[in-house]
Amino acid sequence: MDAAAVDRLQFAFTVMFHYLFPIGTMGLAPFVAVYTWKSAFSGDSGAAQAARFWTRIFAINFAAGVVTGIPMEFQFGTNWAEFSRRTGAVVGQPLAMEGVFAFFLESVFLGVLLYNRRDRPSPLVAWSAVLVCLGSWLSGFFIVATNAWMQHPVGYVMEGDHARLVSIGALLFSTWAWWQFAHVLTGALLAGCMIVAGCGAYYLLSGRERELGRRFVRAGSIGALVFATIAAFPTGDGNAKDVTQYQPIKLAAMEGLFRSSPHAPLAIIGMPDTVQGILVDPIYVPSLLSFLAYGNFSASVEGLSAYPASQWPPIELTYYAYHVMVGLGTIFGFVAALACIALALRKLYEARWLLWALMLLMPFPYIANEAGWMVSEVGRQPWIVYGVLRTAQATSPTVNSGEATFTLIGFAGMYFLLGVLFILLVLREIGRGPSPEGAP
Amino acid sequence: MLGTLAFATIALLVTGYVLLDGYDLGIAAIAPLIGRNAQERGAAMASIGPFWNGNEVWLIVAGAALFALFPVAYASSFSGFYLPFIVVLWMLMFRGIAMELRDHLDSDLWRQFWDAAFWLSSVALMALFGVALGNLVRGVPLDRHGYFTGTFAFLLNPYALLVGVFAIVALAQHGAAFARLRIEGAPAERAARLQPGLWWIALVLYVALTAATFAVRAMPPTWLIVMPIISLLGLLVLRHASRTQHLRRAFAASAIFLTSLLVEAAGTLYPYLLPSFPGGRGGISVADAAPPSSLAVGLVVTLGGTMCVLIYAVAVWRGLSGKVRVE
Repeated sequence: MDAAAVDRLQFAFTVMFHYLFPIGTMGLAPFVAVYTWKSAFSGDSGAAQAARFWTRIFAINFAAGVVTGIPMEFQFGTNWAEFSRRTGAVVGQPLAMEGVFAFFLESVFLGVLLYNRRDRPSPLVAWSAVLVCLGSWLSGFFIVATNAWMQHPVGYVMEGDHARLVSIGALLFSTWAWWQFAHVLTGALLAGCMIVAGCGAYYLLSGRERELGRRFVRAGSIGALVFATIAAFPTGDGNAKDVTQYQPIKLAAMEGLFRSSPHAPLAIIGMPDTVQGILVDPIYVPSLLSFLAYGNFSASVEGLSAYPASQWPPIELTYYAYHVMVGLGTIFGFVAALACIALALRKLYEARWLLWALMLLMPFPYIANEAGWMVSEVGRQPWIVYGVLRTAQATSPTVNSGEATFTLIGFAGMYFLLGVLFILLVLREIGRGPSPEGAP
Repeated sequence: MLGTLAFATIALLVTGYVLLDGYDLGIAAIAPLIGRNAQERGAAMASIGPFWNGNEVWLIVAGAALFALFPVAYASSFSGFYLPFIVVLWMLMFRGIAMELRDHLDSDLWRQFWDAAFWLSSVALMALFGVALGNLVRGVPLDRHGYFTGTFAFLLNPYALLVGVFAIVALAQHGAAFARLRIEGAPAERAARLQPGLWWIALVLYVALTAATFAVRAMPPTWLIVMPIISLLGLLVLRHASRTQHLRRAFAASAIFLTSLLVEAAGTLYPYLLPSFPGGRGGISVADAAPPSSLAVGLVVTLGGTMCVLIYAVAVWRGLSGKVRVE
């Protein structure tokens, strides 16, 4: 393999592994904040137990997120030196902002939160929980703003082969950054709600922690329905409109649309065959893609054949990642809706089949979130900065494939160990449960 | 002008990192000496528990600021020192995992394993940081785009190795001063007994290093002559204050000693961030900074933001002060 291929593999592996943890921190932070706040100001003893329980799980997520996040920030320099050299003056800005405005906030106030030993948290602890939540979301925003510039570069000019920053405001307030951030945050919150609901379902099914189990199932199910809806509309839709306008090739790859056509149909399922340029065994909804992309059933949507193959992203990966994300999101919305109906009819806590469904769905929001990022990142190829710099030209000239392979193997070993430990510790916390009998 | 300010900003962030995470690393280095059993070593770790994560953020911010303010230096140094750099990342991860996971299982074997991992990764980090700094001061071979053209073996020269050893000793001394401030009982007493030995080794290495620096570099600017005086004063105050139980003053003196060393290193390097070998003339300098528009934004963010952080971090940390007991 050439060095660029190994660099890509290493970045894809380390960033996908890393992202598992921000999903947990961004998604669970509001639960930590709300439960801590309630226990501090209303003396709700159930909320106090819930706050401690979710803080413990949050802290494991946070620690794993920090240790896997540091290599992300530094890999731009180690493996993508040409990218850094040419565009660092622009993309470095939101990354520096993340460090200064988000990381410090999170780490300082998480210190306060974790070293709180009292039963009823002080106002400082309650505020710390809110600030930790704010920090984790801000961190997400600055990372998405960085990525948004790579997807849709704005606020810069090229001088020779270097990008010069013209307007930081244009970068931070680009339409792409805000739609993408809204969607990313919604995805994480949906995952957080599904984790809380699934955890509650596990307690109810195993006949323990009845009080808190019900609370978790209720809060998680309602939240999941809300965020599954927002994930589709308006945030998913807003993202898709940006893609339609600025990256039509990615849209064609996501939908498996090979030929441009008016009344473009939406493929619910089907397998892209890139050699023949067709979608095998498709099930179509007529004209729907035209409507979703342009708000008009007869609008013409450009297919892949309108562009030279050298501009195509990897079609299969982009197509399947997109369909997995949308398919899973639909299933989450459906199950959450059922749970909310059962809740309204006061039958949810006895509906064991529904509790089983909630519990078994726990890992899938992770897959949906990762798949969403795959659409975004794989679909951006062959560009690292869309229309400006190709990925193959962005690697470090001094790092050869042998070195990169060695470090990739090292990361794989390190992350295997970390993954096993993470699962072990989180399952152990869930097994111990929120009640004081299990606490240390 | 903006380039010089950006250079100073990076130096400031690195100094912040060394002073703060330096005591975390230093505590780790002496943990097996001041803690005879898992409980005592646990107290050593608990003394840095609420802080280490925030301290490490200084490194992340320094890296990100280098990316934003000096993209050329960032790209060249990180990719040029590829393998050592990735090992630094692995060690940072390993240390973080050890800190976080140690107390999750109530088992002595589990704790012993993570204590060893904590020690090993921290010592490796200090050595690697020292070697990196040594190579910066000595200069590295660069091509015309500023990319590193040397080998891994080139980085392991005697001068850089000497800086590596010195880094371990100086930070262990910093950690010992911090341990006496934050821990009660036997570990603090043992830290006090370690101090004289560490002090003498630090002094000898400091003198040797100063002589070696003259050998590998041309004459530094004259104003830097005050730095060795401050370094020596810092060392003397450190010794006196630790003997007379002025623990805060001792820790402050250790911080001044480390700061004076870093100012000296930065002053020697200036105007270069990555001087070329040999002689340290030529290389990537402040003239290779990002364009002024980026520097302005980056400086406001890093300097302004860091000031805000210092205000709330100090306020919060005051609330967490006090000593850690052996449980």
